[in-house]
Amino acid sequence: MFRNNYDGDTVTFSPTGRLFQVEYASEAIKQGSVTIGLRSKKHVVLVGLKRNEDKLSSYQKKIIKCDSHLGFSLAGLAPDARILANYMKQQASYNDMVYGKKINLNKLSELLALKAQKTTQTYSGRPYGVGLLIAGVDNLGVHLLEFQPTGNVTELYGASIGARSQGGKTYLENEFENYLEIEDLDELIAHGVKALKQTLKDETLDIANLSIGVVGEDIDFTILEGKHVEKYL
Amino acid sequence: MTSVGTGYDLSNSVFSPDGRNFQVEYASKAVENGSTTVGLKCKDGVVFGVEKIIANKLLVPGKNRKIQTIDRHIGCCYSGLIPDGKHLVNRGREEATNFRNTYGKPIPVSAMSERLSQYVQAYTLYNSVRPFGISTIFGGVLKTENGGDNKPELFMLDPNGSCWGYKGIATGKGRQTAKAELEKLITSETFDFSTLSAKQAVEEVARIIYLAHEDNKDKDFELELSWCSLSETNGFHKYVPEEVYNEAVENAKSAVGLADSDESGEEDMEVDAQ
Amino acid sequence: MNHDPYSWGRPSDAMYGQYNNAIANAPNTLEHHSSGSNFNENTTRPIVTGTSVIAIKYKTGVVIAADNLASYGSLLRFQGIERLHKVGKTTVVGISGDVSDMQHLLTILDQLEMENNYDNDEYSDNVDELQPSYIFEYLANLMYHRRSKMNPLWNALIVSGVDSKTGKPFLEYVNLLGVKYASPSIATGFGSHLAIPLLRKLADSEEEAAELTLEQAKKGIKDSMKVLFYRDTRSSKNYSLAVIDKDTGIAYDNNVDVEDMSWKFAKDITGYGTQRV
Repeated sequence: MFRNNYDGDTVTFSPTGRLFQVEYASEAIKQGSVTIGLRSKKHVVLVGLKRNEDKLSSYQKKIIKCDSHLGFSLAGLAPDARILANYMKQQASYNDMVYGKKINLNKLSELLALKAQKTTQTYSGRPYGVGLLIAGVDNLGVHLLEFQPTGNVTELYGASIGARSQGGKTYLENEFENYLEIEDLDELIAHGVKALKQTLKDETLDIANLSIGVVGEDIDFTILEGKHVEKYL
Repeated sequence: MTSVGTGYDLSNSVFSPDGRNFQVEYASKAVENGSTTVGLKCKDGVVFGVEKIIANKLLVPGKNRKIQTIDRHIGCCYSGLIPDGKHLVNRGREEATNFRNTYGKPIPVSAMSERLSQYVQAYTLYNSVRPFGISTIFGGVLKTENGGDNKPELFMLDPNGSCWGYKGIATGKGRQTAKAELEKLITSETFDFSTLSAKQAVEEVARIIYLAHEDNKDKDFELELSWCSLSETNGFHKYVPEEVYNEAVENAKSAVGLADSDESGEEDMEVDAQ
Repeated sequence: MNHDPYSWGRPSDAMYGQYNNAIANAPNTLEHHSSGSNFNENTTRPIVTGTSVIAIKYKTGVVIAADNLASYGSLLRFQGIERLHKVGKTTVVGISGDVSDMQHLLTILDQLEMENNYDNDEYSDNVDELQPSYIFEYLANLMYHRRSKMNPLWNALIVSGVDSKTGKPFLEYVNLLGVKYASPSIATGFGSHLAIPLLRKLADSEEEAAELTLEQAKKGIKDSMKVLFYRDTRSSKNYSLAVIDKDTGIAYDNNVDVEDMSWKFAKDITGYGTQRV
């Protein structure tokens, strides 16, 4: 049943020092639909492709707002992402109440890393099966973070995760020096949508399945959906 | 790996018939391919260096720092599973706070080493957890007025919980080269710790990391340097300032025969890094 | 309101009748389980106290002062106790009231400062520094939390500083009840009777404070410290003075003495000590 003897739980190292269960959890991200994040010096943009179960059902939420300056998009197990969303909302509001200050993205990433790491070192429970692209702004400017089930959280200029995300990543790698300098938010969104289009196979983007999240020094975290994304298609 | 597959390596806290804990040994394997990490003592402090391979060119230069601060006077870097390192640093901070609340002064580095190794060792005792997949180098210097003796201390802590003091130590992928270089440096006849300044130690650490990177040349990397010294940082653990950093990197590059011209945009990143 | 630290937070006798001293013999929290009593008593009075802290804003910063004395009742018990404390790079917290509670607050502030420095590179210009407003908000929450547990820290605090991002001077007050307010000039304890009128003469509004020079502000504080030493029997001649300026940072002198005193008025005062009419 198992691929080898060492992949049954998160507390067993393989002879080469790998943790297969944690690696498998990271695979869950690829089961989810694609999401892409990118940033300039002033803004961060998240774009995501929403999925629906069948024609009559509604679409699965792709982007969640956690505070006025902070939100994320997800790929993988959405229920796991909601647990993490609640945690981030709690931490953000705690910071706001106690210090009168919006939570710093660096601090948030350390907290998330610790929370996720715990699940990779103990037998009970399992690692989170979701990847997050976190966008936010704080005293140090705008940030785009990528969260992984391993507990690794990294700060990037652009990131692409989910099914067939490689096309988007290649686009970002080729373009990041250009879009980093963009002042205009709409232009940055256009880059995001273009990157997203590199990952599509059978789907086509429309107002129903495209979800966009933006945040910047001059704009609170905002989710654009439905007719608001029409002009970016 | 004679006993691989006999079943004694499938669970933590289990001895094999010849008295080994395989899971702990496997955890050490996670360290062997980690980033090269170096710690070196000098006359009034310690210096840390980490080779950070740039695995993804979208990474923001200067961010995603690997060296961390446990307490004001204790720096820490590790090689292996990075999230495990963060877990351990977090525990170290709790211990530091605890010590301060109990005794009203900062924790000596040696006391920290005992507490951290006990914690790491505990993760080899139960089959409900796994050992830490990191080797941790940490150290610092405690000023006399804070109950210290002005002597710098440096330790390395392994997944099995054993912890030793060192003059200089390296772990991670390039450890063999780095350790050989450290030995060469420290055992040379002209070498004297009582005269090695923190700045000189920074230069040595930078040079050693650049040398250790030679085997892995095709990959770009960012160098992280930090120090904790009585004369330079008043006993606080901090990243080295830009001028010192740049000078150390320049010298390291010429020492390993890297001309200034063939840097692939690396320099820009490192300026940013400060 | 009576500004003697012993009366802080107490209902006035005139309003509520005399305080029932039987309550003062109530068991404290530690004895809770062994005694048959069904109520607990926490701190009801300060023991060793520091007197007024005074502060005023000026054009580019804040001047704050507090004397270096800790009294045990009316006994001037400990000298050289500093009550102005630097937190982070641009904040000074002045603490009056119970000195042991002050010392507890200092360990908390130390921890706060350290947690902010974790993973926050001090050498880069891109540091998320502790701002006076964060420190104040935290302390105000702490004070209110403690009073809501009916176990207050018996202090009145003044948080002064400049915001290192905007350069704006910051000055706010919070006390053992969790009451907080901001003003261009603030004083705790006796200072709110004696120093505030003098400081308000200098600057009665934020606009006027924004015109004040450092020299004017400093003189106002020094004069107020003198008046306080004249009239507050729990005060000392030796005090600490800190200036937090947006350009020059914190200048802290822990050894200032009240100068140019004139005690001539004292000969006309009768009714205490060994004086005979």
